[in-house]
Amino acid sequence: MIRLRTIAKQILVTFGIVILMTISALVSSVRADSAGISAPLSISDDAYLTGVFQLDRHLNGFDQPLVSTGNFTLSPKDGLLWENQEPFPDTTVMTDRGITRVLDDGSTEVIASGAQFHQFIALISAVLAGNWDALSAHFTLAEMPPETGETNASWHVKLVPLAGLPIADQIIEITAYGDQFVEHVTITKPSGDYDDITLGNQAKASLPLPGDIAALLSGQAQ
Amino acid sequence: MKLRAAIWVICLLVMGIVTVWQISAKHSRIDGDILALIGQESGPENAERFSDINIVRDLLARDARQAIVMVSHGNRNALEAASRDMAQEFRDIAGTNNVSLPGFETGDAQSLYGLYQKHANGLLSQKDRDSLMNSDGQRLFRRALQDLYSPSSMISAQSLGNDPFSLLPGFLSELGGKIGQSGLVQDDNRFATPIIITLSPDVRTNGQEAQWVKQINDVIATRSASDAALHIAKTGQVFFAVSEASHARSDVQRIAIIATIGVIMMVVGVFMSALPLVATLLTVGSGLLAGITALVVVFDSIHAIALVFGASLIGISIDYALHFLVLPKSVGAARARLAHIRPGLRLGLLTTVCGFVALAVTPTVLLAQISLYSISGLIAAYVTVVTILPVLPHRDVRDRSVIRTIYAHIDNALLKVRIPQKQRLAVLACAVIGLITTVYSLPANDDIAALGHGNTALIEDAREISETLGIGGNPQFIRIDGSLVQDRLETGEAVRTALTPIIRDGILGSLFGLSDVIPSIKRQQENRELVAKELEEPFGAKLRASLPVQTPTQHTESDFLEPDPDILGTIPALASLQHGETDIIRLGAVKDADAIRDAIADIGNARLINPRETITAQFAHYRNWATIALAASLIVAGILAIIRYGAYAGLNVLAAPLIAILIAVIGAFALGVTINFFAIMALFLVFAIGADYAIFTSESRHHGQQTEIRFAVFLSLISSILAFGLLATSSVPVVNTIGTIISIGLACAWILSYWMCSIPAQADTTDSR
Repeated sequence: MIRLRTIAKQILVTFGIVILMTISALVSSVRADSAGISAPLSISDDAYLTGVFQLDRHLNGFDQPLVSTGNFTLSPKDGLLWENQEPFPDTTVMTDRGITRVLDDGSTEVIASGAQFHQFIALISAVLAGNWDALSAHFTLAEMPPETGETNASWHVKLVPLAGLPIADQIIEITAYGDQFVEHVTITKPSGDYDDITLGNQAKASLPLPGDIAALLSGQAQ
Repeated sequence: MKLRAAIWVICLLVMGIVTVWQISAKHSRIDGDILALIGQESGPENAERFSDINIVRDLLARDARQAIVMVSHGNRNALEAASRDMAQEFRDIAGTNNVSLPGFETGDAQSLYGLYQKHANGLLSQKDRDSLMNSDGQRLFRRALQDLYSPSSMISAQSLGNDPFSLLPGFLSELGGKIGQSGLVQDDNRFATPIIITLSPDVRTNGQEAQWVKQINDVIATRSASDAALHIAKTGQVFFAVSEASHARSDVQRIAIIATIGVIMMVVGVFMSALPLVATLLTVGSGLLAGITALVVVFDSIHAIALVFGASLIGISIDYALHFLVLPKSVGAARARLAHIRPGLRLGLLTTVCGFVALAVTPTVLLAQISLYSISGLIAAYVTVVTILPVLPHRDVRDRSVIRTIYAHIDNALLKVRIPQKQRLAVLACAVIGLITTVYSLPANDDIAALGHGNTALIEDAREISETLGIGGNPQFIRIDGSLVQDRLETGEAVRTALTPIIRDGILGSLFGLSDVIPSIKRQQENRELVAKELEEPFGAKLRASLPVQTPTQHTESDFLEPDPDILGTIPALASLQHGETDIIRLGAVKDADAIRDAIADIGNARLINPRETITAQFAHYRNWATIALAASLIVAGILAIIRYGAYAGLNVLAAPLIAILIAVIGAFALGVTINFFAIMALFLVFAIGADYAIFTSESRHHGQQTEIRFAVFLSLISSILAFGLLATSSVPVVNTIGTIISIGLACAWILSYWMCSIPAQADTTDSR
């Protein structure tokens, strides 16, 4: 009985983890050596990262991917803001309180809430701090040589979920490569579907966040 | 005589072998679960319709195998680490079947999501359904487009094929809300999560509960000591059961030791020999053995309550042994002594057996077991007295023993009271009227919660877990009856609609039924029509234009989600929601049961069931039958006494136990003892033993050994008070009830045997004293 209680939220949580783990990997940038694997750039709690993205969602059996583009803002302290610009505007806010969608009229709709989301930010912070150990509780990490066509890539990391963990039901593997900043991430799912996320124009800045973004991440935006 | 004794010894040995074989081969099992036997006589209303008590018993039996440990901590990571470690330690405890961490595991999520995907267009959240019913499909279309590109969306190629408008996530999300709190909750900067432990079925049957609970408590204590910020609470029937059993066992052990020492000292002190003690133990032991043998031969499952009450025939059978043992050698050889007391023994046995037969004809398995145990045991005790005791070496009572001296003073004082025959009859008449009045006017309380000792810490833990996680507590539910599963699902949906305002008002925390997981075909069909009309028709083409794939829009009847056994088997938690032709809606955090009853009053096939009330009603049912049986026993005893002694003397014999019962009831009530089923069963013992006192005393007038027989009754009283009266000192209410009633009743019956029976009504010329 108790298991059923959490099914709906667990599924959303798992998907949320996938996205945030991905973004965590995205912000891995400056090469650092920890346990023999390239480590991400450390971003302290008083800093945040901004950039643009292109998400190519490849669905098994579909000829063309579903393509969306927009901006993102990641604050280890406050959460992740994912703002679609194309094909239409849409804003998703992910914090340790849950996942919220900002509607056209500016009001918000809670997609999922719960204490489980705390781990999103914890994992992001672990990555930003260059702490692969935190990720090793969920993934097997392996460094791979950059492949042909990965322009400017000086490192390539592959994350495979540990067997038996919930995330292993949703993801086969995550690969990411980049140089100073992460340039590309691929999330492969058991169905054969995969998401390609390409990042650009990334910049690190110090808090405070811009007012409108801070309001969205704090849940005070209407 | 020796031959008969040898044959009876062989019979007892055979009984012992049969009993040991039956129990060790598990042909018969002894069940200590208070729910295991009660209500078994309440068979299905038809082949598939189960009674309330049967469903309650089944649900509670399922719940009984589950224990919940709630772990909370201010630091979420520390909470997860501690929870995972504790879960592993719980898994390592013998008797643990399964441990789950809902806060950190997905459990059946994948299988359930896969199950729903194929039927997605018939599954709508209430919010989406309301939107479509209000012709607001635009919002859902917009959301579907957003989900295509949302980083957090659950879409896949397969989900788009089955659920192009992404309706299923909303349904799943709402389902989570319907069922209750999350597996991981945050409250005032503290995180809390449950660890759900399922016990192996054999933990209870093998009597390993106490050991299992001890090991769980050890793990909790160690963890709590290692981290002061860690708070742990636990709940589950197993913890309450072990706590209650511990209290009761502690009390009963203390009382048993005192009683055993007391009886040994009494017998040895009176006879200055261990031989009478052996004779007494043989009599009592043979009675107990025969009683158990009869139960294991007749019943597959024997209830502990039946054993406890059956074993109480110790107090009756010891009368038989003492009755024989106190007769001096001067009366004659063993055969002659036996001839003196045999009529009295027979009448006492017959009277008691009639009483327990009346109990046996009641339509309750529990009372039938008590009855069979008692009848078999008493007959065996009687046979032991008339076959084995006469061949044992005899020891006379020592006249100078302390007990004998004390008895002589009391006996002398009691004999000074003389009540004329007419007054005796008047007293009897008043007692009969008083007893009838008492039966109708004395308030009874059969609440099962009043039976136990209660454990404040466990009750507080259960409250905390219920408030924090919304689980545990009194498992109230709504039962829905109907021969067709679809009718029941539709009724379940009507119940949810009726109770939604009550949930909103906080009167009800949550409800969860099969129709929440598997909507009725009617509801699914309505949903499909809404989706077709309000989404597919106006927005389907636009959506598909955004997708490079064709999505199916038509579903056949066979595509409806139905609660067939395969699905119910896939998700075990759903199986407990269906019992034959009855579906169950489980409720959480019920604050006002009457409000729920009122809300569903118009839904004909739905009824609120409170397990506590159901079990309490069952015990009230038992109490009523036991009261009727007790009344019948008194009537039969009166008839037998009149046949044996004539009208006046016969009524005198009846008066002693009858008045003793009346005084015991009123006295116990005045002392604050709850009158319930167990109180009535204690009165049965007062009747049986009190009748023996009166009969033995009356019989003594025929064979002229009044003094010796009154002394035997006195010894019997002491042993009974030691065996039962000390129960009155127990802190466990049900044990206290039995002890108090028996103490008052037997003391009264003993005194009344003097005043109503022992002295010839007009002239005491034969009594030696």
